[in-house]
Amino acid sequence: MDELIEITVTVNGTVHREQVSPRMHVADFLRRGLGLTGTHVGCEQGVCGMCTILLDGDAVKSCLMLAPQLDGREVRTVESLAEGGELAPVQRAFKEAHGLQCGFCTPGFLMTATALKESGRSLDREEIRDELSGVICRCTGYEGIVNAVDRVLNGDAVGVEDER
Amino acid sequence: MSGSVATERRTGVLGSSVPRKEDDRLLQGDGRFTDDVEPARSLHMAVGRCPFPRARIESIDVEAAAAMPGVHQVLTGVDIVARTEPIGVLRPVPGAVQLPFYALAEEFCVFEGQPVVSVVADSRQIAEDAVEAIWIDYEPLAHVTDTLAALEPDAPVIHPDRMESNLLASNPQHRGDAEAVLRDADVVVGDSFQIGRVAPLPMEPRAVVAEWRPGARELTAHVATQVPHLVRMQLAESLRLDEGEVRVITGDVGGGFGLKLGLYPEELLACRHAMDLRRAVKWVEDRLEHFRASTHARESVHEFRIGADADGTFVAMTDLYTTDLGGQNSGFGSAQLSSIVFTGPYRVEDGAVERRVAVTNKTPVGAYRGYGQPEVNLARETLIDRLARRLGRDPYELRLQNLLGADELPWRNAAGALYDSGDYAQCLRMVAEAIDYERLRAAGRGPGEDGRYRGVGFTCFVERTGYASAKFLANRGSRYGAHESVTLRANRSGGIDLYTGVSTFGQSNETAFAQICAEVHGIDFDAIRVHAGDTGATPLNTGAFASRTLIAGSGAVREAAQELRDKTLRIAAGQLSVEVEDLEVVDGAVVSRTDPDKRVTLADLHRAAIIGQGLPADEQPGLEATAHFEPTDAAYAYGSAAAVVAVDAETGEFEIERFVLAHDSGRIVNPGAVEGQVRGALAQGFGAALTEELRYEPQSGQLVNGTMLDYFVPTASDLPAVELLHTEVPSPVTPFGVRGVGETGTIPPGAAIANAICDALAEYGVEISSLPITPELVWRAIRKAGNGGESREG
Repeated sequence: MDELIEITVTVNGTVHREQVSPRMHVADFLRRGLGLTGTHVGCEQGVCGMCTILLDGDAVKSCLMLAPQLDGREVRTVESLAEGGELAPVQRAFKEAHGLQCGFCTPGFLMTATALKESGRSLDREEIRDELSGVICRCTGYEGIVNAVDRVLNGDAVGVEDER
Repeated sequence: MSGSVATERRTGVLGSSVPRKEDDRLLQGDGRFTDDVEPARSLHMAVGRCPFPRARIESIDVEAAAAMPGVHQVLTGVDIVARTEPIGVLRPVPGAVQLPFYALAEEFCVFEGQPVVSVVADSRQIAEDAVEAIWIDYEPLAHVTDTLAALEPDAPVIHPDRMESNLLASNPQHRGDAEAVLRDADVVVGDSFQIGRVAPLPMEPRAVVAEWRPGARELTAHVATQVPHLVRMQLAESLRLDEGEVRVITGDVGGGFGLKLGLYPEELLACRHAMDLRRAVKWVEDRLEHFRASTHARESVHEFRIGADADGTFVAMTDLYTTDLGGQNSGFGSAQLSSIVFTGPYRVEDGAVERRVAVTNKTPVGAYRGYGQPEVNLARETLIDRLARRLGRDPYELRLQNLLGADELPWRNAAGALYDSGDYAQCLRMVAEAIDYERLRAAGRGPGEDGRYRGVGFTCFVERTGYASAKFLANRGSRYGAHESVTLRANRSGGIDLYTGVSTFGQSNETAFAQICAEVHGIDFDAIRVHAGDTGATPLNTGAFASRTLIAGSGAVREAAQELRDKTLRIAAGQLSVEVEDLEVVDGAVVSRTDPDKRVTLADLHRAAIIGQGLPADEQPGLEATAHFEPTDAAYAYGSAAAVVAVDAETGEFEIERFVLAHDSGRIVNPGAVEGQVRGALAQGFGAALTEELRYEPQSGQLVNGTMLDYFVPTASDLPAVELLHTEVPSPVTPFGVRGVGETGTIPPGAAIANAICDALAEYGVEISSLPITPELVWRAIRKAGNGGESREG
């Protein structure tokens, strides 16, 4: 079958040396190769954003990359956010703002929000909506998600019902 | 059932936005969705599908595929027909011939995407490669994809062995003599409304992991479903097993919306393979498969008429509508609720409604949030606005004139639905006030300084939530009941384990059930652990659909919590030598109200009960309660919406400047969860109203936009701002006065937006009669209106 390729990749702070198939995408590698099932797969077409991870600090759709491309890179997934059982601020904000329902898209939004926070940019709500439009949620209508990200980026703004 | 709840509002947890039980695991990537389950040495399945809308299979050659390294088994329709029973329909169409369907097509295929072969291999990649290596000779047959064309005499009959035409069934209901009333009415408005076909599109595709241990005769199927106990029944039937040999586990489910209702072919196939191979078999639907093999929804044509007196009083309504079933049945089939709410919240004595079901060569249609209610709402509410224009009346005033008053409820509508309670006009007044309707009317429709016209659109609706008893369902042939159940089991840590067959797919059911349990029992919310969706652990129930979970489930939780609490207090009374009436549950202990020093912890009481030591002489060991609860009637939620829309009369482009919804879901258990449900359903309503439509090309019969790139689901930047208002009128027919809430938001967007656009362009005489409403549709409507009603298309 496929010839395997050896890669060295840092995932959530741990260095992994793995043999990977050239036809395996990164989301499958994380889920099947490393058992990090918090990264979800929704379309494998780069549209839905369920598989969004941080690659060297940038939010990327991991279904659009092949595992060999990870060689020498640094990856963070949703499993990296909470420390010692304590939710990270971005996770707390989603919880307090009712930013999730079924939770399948949540890792994608959390990683997108983390990248936005780390970018240090200041965004208004419309800009937040644009930035989040790479991840689709079919449950919430986005209001709770936008409120959560607004809180993470701009401080305690949750509770703004009418954004006009 | 137990009597009044003396403990109401004792903990304050009922009615508050407590953080959800579901959140911590989902936020940390520790949800357990079906694809996260992978038993050791699992095999993987791929499915080969028919590429034609209708075809006869002439031959299948699996030899090359079966010989490929890593391939374990190939199944075709011949195998499946011999070795399984057809998949059972949960909600049959009343009066329809049976259209049993097998997991794989035997000779005839009736839609693009229908499963034809399945392959199990060491990996999904190998299985997919093997599917490609299977040679299938198809003879394409004449097909029909258009709903109404399928009913024409010259249409090819899709199931000629069982049907004489493509009309599966026709279900009329009426009260009075609507035709006679319409003949005598001063004014009658009517039109034909086309509702587009859409995809419910949960973000988690369907998935199954099946394991079979022949010596134990135990099939364990992890299935992403809303109804684990019903899937268990269907698997047992189709695989010729006893129900006791089948266990279905859902884990976390990544959205359902009606799509994950009942057994699908692929789930049965994975189980069949697992039983043959004695190995775990996994299948996860990819998104291309999802668009073709998971149920679609909504597509229908409504011929709606309203008759009124010259003073605007509605005198009759009729709706002859045709739903599109697709090529074959699904668990639930096409929408059935347009009939039950066709007259809406209005005072209409005479009415007639008839639902027809057409078979077409498209993907089967199933349940989807709203299930007919958004569809009929568009027809009725746009006609009310046209009636207002015909009579020179204000559409807001015309609605107020005809809405049922609070003192007229309960009211039985022309389809037999019993509206329980509510103040319909209050919601309409609230939205009119919120948008300052008087000021908007005074300002005129424009064009404004930006060159655009501004219009206001209203819509009023009722929504059936829950079911009226199993007896009602039995009359319609449904294979499920109307009840919910729960088991509460005390544990030695002083907590309660709550077991429910309602699987968790975003409805916040774990949180709501725990809130009710805490409220009735007195135990801390945090000390309740919810275990959902495992048929091996939970009492037999119905499942989560039809906005019925809380209506039925709240009663079950209440009764079980009351029973558990009563026994706990009796044991404590014995230990503390006080009267039961003197005791209450506070902070994880049972405490005397009169002498707070007399207390015993729940952990101690639970241990005593579980071990059976230190109990009053007449008490049995154990501390566990199971309750089943069936509501007596459905509860009708209701609401009104107003949209303010700015329209460019040159291009047809429009912008929703405001959208206000006032709704009533009865007594609210968790306001945050309710708001989330309403906003989420609204987003789906906006999608279906504005951008979402599955399109088939009639000549080839192919689905032309079945990918995430081509099917436009609203993103965070696509939705208008929504303002929500609530009233809280308790329902008299449900525990705690709750009404269902999951589907409300899907109903109003289409009608409110259509009415606002037509109001803005009133001077052009524009009419909208279909969904989705795209700028192109508006542009064409303007051209048509400007041309005396004749369409003039290039």
